[in-house]
Amino acid sequence: MIEIKNVSKTMTSGSEMLTVLQPLDLFVSSGKFLSVVGPSGSGKSTLLGLIAGLDAPTSGKIIIDGVDITTLSEDELAQLRGLKIGFVFQFFHLIPSLTALENVLVPLEIARKRDARDIAYDLLVDLDLVDRAHHLPSQLSGGEKQRVAIARALANAPPILLADEPTGNLDSTNSEHVADLLATINKKRLTTIVLVTHDLKLASEADIRLELLDGQVKSRYEK
Amino acid sequence: MAVRELRASWRRLILFFVCVAIGVGSIVILRSVIQNVKDILTKESKALLAADVVIRSNRPWSDSQRHAIETLLSKNVLIKSTETVDLATIVRPRNKVKISARTVELRAVDEGFPYYGDVEVKGLQRYTYLLLKGKGVLVRPELLVQLNVEVGEEIVIGNAPFTITGVIVSEPGRRIGLFSFGPRVFVHLNDLRGLGLLDTGSRARHRMLFRVPPSELDSFVTQLREEFREDFVRIRTYQDREDRIGSNFQKAENYLSLVGFVVVVLGGIGVWSVTRSFVQQKLKSISVLKCLGATTSQIITMYVIQAIFLGLTGSLLGVVIAFGIVVFVPENVVSVFGPISYGLTWSAIIQGFGIGVMVSLLFSFVPLFEIRHIKPLLLFRRAADDIKVDKTQRCVRERLVRSLLKIDWPRLTVIVAATTVLFAIASWQAASLESGFFVCGGLVGVALILNSVGALLIRVVAPLESLSWFPLRHAVMCLTRPGNQTRVILLAVGLGSFFIIGVRALQSNLLAELDLEQRSGDYDMVLLDIQADQLKPVNDFLLIHIEKPATMIPVTRARVVGVSGQEINLEDLEDVRGQGSLGRDYTVTYRGHLQENEEVVDGRFFNRGESS
Repeated sequence: MIEIKNVSKTMTSGSEMLTVLQPLDLFVSSGKFLSVVGPSGSGKSTLLGLIAGLDAPTSGKIIIDGVDITTLSEDELAQLRGLKIGFVFQFFHLIPSLTALENVLVPLEIARKRDARDIAYDLLVDLDLVDRAHHLPSQLSGGEKQRVAIARALANAPPILLADEPTGNLDSTNSEHVADLLATINKKRLTTIVLVTHDLKLASEADIRLELLDGQVKSRYEK
Repeated sequence: MAVRELRASWRRLILFFVCVAIGVGSIVILRSVIQNVKDILTKESKALLAADVVIRSNRPWSDSQRHAIETLLSKNVLIKSTETVDLATIVRPRNKVKISARTVELRAVDEGFPYYGDVEVKGLQRYTYLLLKGKGVLVRPELLVQLNVEVGEEIVIGNAPFTITGVIVSEPGRRIGLFSFGPRVFVHLNDLRGLGLLDTGSRARHRMLFRVPPSELDSFVTQLREEFREDFVRIRTYQDREDRIGSNFQKAENYLSLVGFVVVVLGGIGVWSVTRSFVQQKLKSISVLKCLGATTSQIITMYVIQAIFLGLTGSLLGVVIAFGIVVFVPENVVSVFGPISYGLTWSAIIQGFGIGVMVSLLFSFVPLFEIRHIKPLLLFRRAADDIKVDKTQRCVRERLVRSLLKIDWPRLTVIVAATTVLFAIASWQAASLESGFFVCGGLVGVALILNSVGALLIRVVAPLESLSWFPLRHAVMCLTRPGNQTRVILLAVGLGSFFIIGVRALQSNLLAELDLEQRSGDYDMVLLDIQADQLKPVNDFLLIHIEKPATMIPVTRARVVGVSGQEINLEDLEDVRGQGSLGRDYTVTYRGHLQENEEVVDGRFFNRGESS
């Protein structure tokens, strides 16, 4: 469950104060799929960063699974991210020095999970990557990299998955594959997904669609 | 995770462990050489005395003194003793046809001599005191030539004939070139008694030599000093470092230790620079780890473990390099101590390893501490692109307050702690707190100056960015852009130069000092005991061979027997002590002028003809 209460974000740009996110209220219950759309600079990534606890809001509260994350320290936020939030990025952000399997192992080892290797291996099997397990990211295609990134995001079975333009760097075939994967994860695992995208088709798959413009909510659609 | 990262990054970090390896290699090789030389010097010191402890007196040992020594020896049966008597005397061939006589340095020895070193006798495997029994005598080869005698012939010492039983090639503690009254001659101690050479007025030096187990040495010497506190007895151990070899060796040891430390610090600067670049390259990976739940301390620990691995690998490589060098070091590299077999010592290896790992940690920890400031948000965007501060809008006070608030106190604490540990290592290596303070103070001072120069350089060249000439504009941009390496490179090169210049200056000073010591008293040849009527013939003879007249120094030995009518009783030790140094023997000279290095600090120098 994600609850955002009167959250805003203001930054200093030169001598001016710039409000990148106007005060916003949002509630996403467990297992829901939220998509955020809008042009560049509309505040989509800022909202995602705030929900992930990667950035601090100028005002308001952000509650994740009953915990007000605006009061947590850096280390507490890191631990919360490790257990409750998975990330999928536009540019994959796999660790280049580690193989596909080792990339998936990282969050499991940080959380000190038992049977980490088995869990990682099973995830790679689920995502049809088992034969690429021992390849470095540089040896994988874009679609494969994004599937490894999704496997890594799901490693600790987080209740929330945050995806920042996950298809933005993929061809149409791989985009569809990733879109299907996210939908499946939402349906089968009941994972709450917050998806930031320019892809309106992908956004339309979501339960809730939020359109931002200049840091404000332009429209909100709920199925 | 650290192992996986290391596996992938070791090529990029190769400079890291090369830096450590060179530093550790230097320490291990220099320390090993020092320790090897130290071992040789210890043996040399023992050989100089031919024993662990020697007590010496200008008078024969009294019954009470002998009794005291026997009592001490009876307390510890492991301590062995033997006796020698040294004196200068004249010998001549017994065959009256061969008319010649020579002053010799006679040493009378007993069974057991020498405890250390070897008396090498020509044509024999080993020296044995049996060669001296029954009025046998060992002589130096030059005496055979001077007296025109051969082995088997007899020479007269004192009032008795002695048979030459062998020729001395070398003896412990006596090197060629040392000053002596004449060639060495060995006789048996029992034969010396009754020759009339130890009667009243004899200048014989009586020695008692002891072989003492190392664990007993200090207590035995303490007991000896206590026992002979009231006597005219001098006590020396091989550990005494008052001689010049010991003093020069100490200087060399400190110098070499400092060189080793400096090489390690230079390696450390390399480590610091490599780690800083490494962290810059790892920004995204670190951000990802933070996104995936890793805390800052976990990530820093991961990279610290990497630094330890690299430090250990570098140290191991350093030991291998040192081993390789040892194989190629010529044995006579330090010729003053004779040929020396070098090898790596365990203590040097352990010390090198310890310092290698410590320096790796110290110099990598400060840049690794920057990991705290890496924000995972940069995976979504560059935070720095969004947040810009317009400094021109603020008043000076506000800027000052903000600057103070911006000081990274934890980082400053780490830097201070690292500098403190560095100071401790420097002091340890140079065996001096003062040296450690000056080296670290110099390091910090030069680092601050270079940092300021770097900042100034960036400011000075920044306006050139507006020039239209492409190469210059881009060169300037490389120097001034965010994340530039200008200050780092200046710091690394500047500190390297600082240390190299410092070490070279120190080396020059030491060499100049050694040169000065050698020049101050060392002549090629000293002629002794030239009588007044021999002065002119000797000088005339010398002028055939040398350009300038030889320096003639009139000397006589004297004692102060009284001052202002109060006499000193030389037989009474308390009385002698009461007069301070007045009781000792003086070598007195006279001349009508002061030397260049002399000055009158009180009173007036008077010339010939004047009287006080």
